Amino acid sequence: MAPKEKYIPSETEKAFLSTVTNGKYDREIITGLKKFVDGSVPQDMQGFYSKEELDAIMELDGTDKDLQARMPVKITRHYFEQALKSKAIQTLVKASPKETYDLDGAEDPGKQMSYSPVEGLIHKYELGLIYVASTCSAHCRFCYREELIAKKEITREDGTVAAKGLAKIKDIVDYVLEHNRLVDENSGRHPETNRERLREILMSGGDPMVLGNKNIAQWLGALSEAGIESIRIGTKELAFYPERFDETFFAMLDAFHEAYPQTNLRMMVHFNHPDEFLAKDPDGNYIEHAQGGLEWIPATRASVKEFARRSWINIDNQSPIIAGINDDSDALRIMQRELKRNGVENHYFFCGRDIVGHKAFNVPIEKAWHILNESQKGLSGVEAHARLSITHYKGKTEVAAVTNTLFPGVKGGENGVVIFKLLRSAADAPDRCKVTIVGRNEEAIWFSGYDDRVIMDEAELFSMYDIQPLTAIAAE
Amino acid sequence: MTYVVTDNCIQCKYTDCVEVCPVECFYEGPNFLVIHPGECIDCDDCVDVCPANAIFNEDDLPEDKKHFLALNEELAQIWPQITDQKDPLPDAAKWDGVAGKLEHLDKSVPEG
Repeated sequence: MAPKEKYIPSETEKAFLSTVTNGKYDREIITGLKKFVDGSVPQDMQGFYSKEELDAIMELDGTDKDLQARMPVKITRHYFEQALKSKAIQTLVKASPKETYDLDGAEDPGKQMSYSPVEGLIHKYELGLIYVASTCSAHCRFCYREELIAKKEITREDGTVAAKGLAKIKDIVDYVLEHNRLVDENSGRHPETNRERLREILMSGGDPMVLGNKNIAQWLGALSEAGIESIRIGTKELAFYPERFDETFFAMLDAFHEAYPQTNLRMMVHFNHPDEFLAKDPDGNYIEHAQGGLEWIPATRASVKEFARRSWINIDNQSPIIAGINDDSDALRIMQRELKRNGVENHYFFCGRDIVGHKAFNVPIEKAWHILNESQKGLSGVEAHARLSITHYKGKTEVAAVTNTLFPGVKGGENGVVIFKLLRSAADAPDRCKVTIVGRNEEAIWFSGYDDRVIMDEAELFSMYDIQPLTAIAAE
Repeated sequence: MTYVVTDNCIQCKYTDCVEVCPVECFYEGPNFLVIHPGECIDCDDCVDVCPANAIFNEDDLPEDKKHFLALNEELAQIWPQITDQKDPLPDAAKWDGVAGKLEHLDKSVPEG
């Protein structure tokens, strides 16, 4: 093996890193189903899967419908305890044969790999996403990063096949510096890709919060040194193991802020359902405070409050809308209200991707829009900031509206139209806010469900695949 | 669940695992490394990098190595944490693959 070229931290970084200590955590993780099958899980976990459930799952072992090969089963004690009180959480975290009934779908519908210039980096917009960890404390059954988490071999742009690797600090810092140097020399645009400066990096995975404080601190320091203005940490650890956000972690963040006061931290948190953060009474109901609001799980609320009181940190929640978990307007209404009340912004809700092994989780686009719209009835303006987003190859696209008014002369138009709005073009900012209108198809779970009913395509979501709007076809 | 270091690490101690571990859950004795079962996050990264193939997923432990789980747990409590890769023990190559290494395990706690 060739000797690795090491990243050399600056004096400021070294001084910051020397203050950081790692906390001690015992997540009491159970990985795999073996311990449930042989009964060696702790007493209170026995029965989490029924005998029938385990038999049905184990029957698929080693076949093309193997659930554990698709996504390893993994749960923390904290999340297990919440799951006991929540059907939604059970669906989120328990393996089910439904996952592999229908294996239709694409390997990579967002074509992520075509945006990966360096191992472990996806570069879109002015934002780079880096994979810094290959696991999470627990595993969502609907996770679409299964190729990373389950360590599957994937085909690269150049045709080679290998498992996805993690980002290395030196590689990423070198890439950011070189990209931004070329952009600056070329009046604000990259000479080949036309992209802007890389200003923001999203640490993802896997979950960066499974890493120790020292490891996270090295990334924060190095990215700041490279000129990154805002660092995002994408994490579901507030739901899986809120105790991870302990004194040693916040001491690290405070030391980081002192060393790099210009860098903004954006915690991109991931709650799918209010059962993940709200306390319940013995009857399973949320507990109302006399002075307003609902009672939270104490450890989760304490962690959120620690973030919220630091003015240089933003907290935003993002969640897909998933069948059997949160395709529920009432749950989403409570979630948006309680998150906002405690300092967490509601950013995006997502349509699930049309990806292999995801049919059991997909909610049709129009239904997802309807669920979110219903959930926002009765919310105040600031509580209802979240939009429904679907990730087109061109970029983040909002499902802006679904109408019920007849639009004659187009397939699906008897039920109305769907209006998509390109929020951010992954390659080129000027395409922002262009619109595409299609006839309705209430079964559609991806753009392809509208190929035969495009009315107007200013955003070029379809024409980039040589699919013409009906008006253009009629004119020919 | 956790990952477990077994007998073929004894007298070798290559420490490649320490370099890749994302959570620094390795602890070091005079001639052996162990994994703290509570701190391990089951990422699987250490298994492939071990030149001595000494690390196993708890569920994949061969029958005759199952007792190493308790040994890892016991020694992780008393040995110091190791966070940086270092040179293997001088005779690592010679000891790699030798049978019955457990009798050479030094459980003493390093000074300082």
